[in-house]
Amino acid sequence: MKKYILKRVLTSIGTLLAIILVLFILMHLMPGSPFNDEKLSEDQRQVLYSKYGLDQPIVVQFGQYVVNMCKGDFGVSYNISKNTPISQLIQSRLPISIRIGFFAVLLGALVGLILGLIAALKKDTILDTICTIISVIGVSVPSYVFALGLSFTLGFKWKLFPMLYSTADELNSSVMPSIALSMFTMASIARFTRTEMIEVLGSEYMLLAESKGLSGRKLIFSHALRNALIPIITVLAPLIVDLMTGSLVVEKIFAIPGVGSLLVNAIQSNDYNVVIALSFIYSAMYIAIMLVVDILYGIIDPRIRLGKEGD
Amino acid sequence: MKKRILAFVLAATMAVGMVGCGSKSADTAATTTEGGAATASASSDLNVMIETPVESLDPQQATDGTSFEVIADYTDGLMQMDSDGNPVNAIAESYEVSEDGLTYTFKLRQDAKWSNGTAVTAADFVFAWQRAVDPEVASEYSYMLSDIGQIVNAEAIIAGEKDKSELGVTAVDDYTLEVSLNVPVSYFLSLMYFPTFYPINEEFFTSCGDTFGTSPETTLSNGAFVLDSYEPAATAFHLTKNADYYDASRVQLSGLNYQVIQDSQTALMSYQNGDLDITLVNGDQVEQVSADPEFQTIGAGYLWYVSPNQKGVKELSNLNIRLALSNAINRDDVTSQLNDGSLPTYTAVPRDFSADFSADQEKFKSVCADDAEAAAKYWEEGLKELGTDSITLEMIVDDDDAPKKVATVLKSEWETTLPGLTVEIVTEPKKQRVQDMQEGNFELGLTRWGPDYDDPMTYLGMWVTDCANNYGLWTNSEYDSIIAECTTGDLCTELDARRTRLYDAEQIVMDEAVIFPIYTAANATLVKANVSGIDFHPVALNRVFKDTVKQ
Repeated sequence: MKKYILKRVLTSIGTLLAIILVLFILMHLMPGSPFNDEKLSEDQRQVLYSKYGLDQPIVVQFGQYVVNMCKGDFGVSYNISKNTPISQLIQSRLPISIRIGFFAVLLGALVGLILGLIAALKKDTILDTICTIISVIGVSVPSYVFALGLSFTLGFKWKLFPMLYSTADELNSSVMPSIALSMFTMASIARFTRTEMIEVLGSEYMLLAESKGLSGRKLIFSHALRNALIPIITVLAPLIVDLMTGSLVVEKIFAIPGVGSLLVNAIQSNDYNVVIALSFIYSAMYIAIMLVVDILYGIIDPRIRLGKEGD
Repeated sequence: MKKRILAFVLAATMAVGMVGCGSKSADTAATTTEGGAATASASSDLNVMIETPVESLDPQQATDGTSFEVIADYTDGLMQMDSDGNPVNAIAESYEVSEDGLTYTFKLRQDAKWSNGTAVTAADFVFAWQRAVDPEVASEYSYMLSDIGQIVNAEAIIAGEKDKSELGVTAVDDYTLEVSLNVPVSYFLSLMYFPTFYPINEEFFTSCGDTFGTSPETTLSNGAFVLDSYEPAATAFHLTKNADYYDASRVQLSGLNYQVIQDSQTALMSYQNGDLDITLVNGDQVEQVSADPEFQTIGAGYLWYVSPNQKGVKELSNLNIRLALSNAINRDDVTSQLNDGSLPTYTAVPRDFSADFSADQEKFKSVCADDAEAAAKYWEEGLKELGTDSITLEMIVDDDDAPKKVATVLKSEWETTLPGLTVEIVTEPKKQRVQDMQEGNFELGLTRWGPDYDDPMTYLGMWVTDCANNYGLWTNSEYDSIIAECTTGDLCTELDARRTRLYDAEQIVMDEAVIFPIYTAANATLVKANVSGIDFHPVALNRVFKDTVKQ
């Protein structure tokens, strides 16, 4: 197991380096530069390029960037917050995005699991249909529609939650964005759980377990659900990525001071350093999640653990 | 089966439990929000919506309207704007202009203090202005001191040829500032309220190191408000009334509460909810709120125009084709599509700007009007001269709502009025579009220009030969000489004659259809009925809250 984890960690680091390189090249291939404004003359642009080292060959820039990054220096923002170190920009924003994302995953996974279970156990009944309808809506309606809908009903009409994120009231401010973000996860998990559970419930070992006289709760949770969970965890990982992309829009709607809104602004104004740093962080988080998922497999399914140890 | 039912009941209980928790916290939330709203309306903090976060609180680095507005909330320059946009004394108590118009001597008021208690002195201005031209600072607005302000040696310092200490500004004593100019500049005083010219206390600046302007602790106020919560790119921040402001009795608000909202739906709902006192309204929402007495449109000063590339595109070097394109547009259709209060414009200088320079919108109607008939005639003539019967042109447009809307109207009107014309719209991210136009890599380009100072020259100065913003690469020696005469020549001091000459210059631009002016942009805005005294300006500081009252 240890050897397996070590191997996975090393691969992850390699992947991250490759990602930085690709990001770096992509950013420099992107049309325009951070300094294409009507008001900037050619001379001024040259001054700014040399100030930030953008007049150097791209190889030199990249080398410099990686060296600085290893020292924890992601550079400074060129225009969305002039000359502010990126690390400072991200510091206060990342926890907010992560918290909302975490709530959303938790909420989505839990509710999705319950809906899926109900649908599977009550297959072909009205309950099943209701659960299926909920999950179809959840999958097909984009999160910003939910966000606006929630904002209008819970926020504007009923005044249950603040429409604008307030750092003074973080818990209440996180409710609507978390729900909006969780919808897709919830719906996907519900659909998946239903399919998996139906398959597991119909399997022969379930029949055997039932005929052994196992009690219903044990039967469902320790035999059926446990077997159904493995594929569900597999889909959960990519869903977390959808969550990150969803947060870009949802953060905008609720005026959340998170990294998503920062990234959108940075992309629009070609703020290279911010875009690279944030994309890097997103990638790092994704890779970390995949790593955790791989390890989780081993815990849930002893066969995988044994198999990997054999490698 | 029974056991399965049990499991289901369990699951259901869990679900109900969760919902229960949810609604409980919801109840608490309801009380908090209501409580919060009550406090907000009771205090006289003005809740202001802004579309983008502040880019920089360094007065010599900032370039965008939001940053300027916030800097000016807590900083006074030598001059400030009165409600009509005229320069009146701020930190300057009085000023003298030498007879030749080349030397300005400002006497500073002695009761102006920075928020750390030190006095605001002439040295603070010298330090800040030297920063503005320092090549190491690379201020984007350094040209406000050189080309526009014409301060002695500014140009050479920016180019790295002279030391910044040689800039033509000196602190004669603590409260006397002397500025020397290359040529008389008629609008010089109106530059003094532009944030690039705002003072910085050198000692404080040095003590902050790289962190200047990134937090309340690293900013100093000498103005109406003091920053008390802020972080870089903050989506919400707050300023409190400055009790030590020399003119504190004038300021009625207890503070300013800024909120960045990038989604227009959220902004409108927050306004209707009472969380905001002033907000911008998107063109699509105008219909919904236009009957509201709180709705108003405020001139934003920006001129939107189409620039034809005359050098790179044979068809567009033909005057008749250009005149046809300019006259074939129905500008009312464009502005009614935008529906935000934007005004159709038939002059190269936008409307409601610089003592209403462009008050007479029919001045150039013989060459620029919504005149399909004349356009068709020009078109026919032009095609004949070119010896062709069809032309395809490509127009580059920013990938934003308003420009795309405008482009669609333009395309359809051009194609209906001018037979044989096909216009292809290419949308690009703004930075790319600007780059393409600056490099001459376009045919038609929809672009805009906002005024930097209160003089028609901020527009007319663009179309001289070799100016980087003369996208169409048009050149006309007579035009160049008029502009030179009005910038650095004899007319600098004779203001009436200068104004007349500027009209002559504008006439050339219009006769030659160097640009096709489309509209002067406006901001559709909602301001609560209990709020009065917000000063709106098209130049430099778009909103000033010093005299604002919230009842």
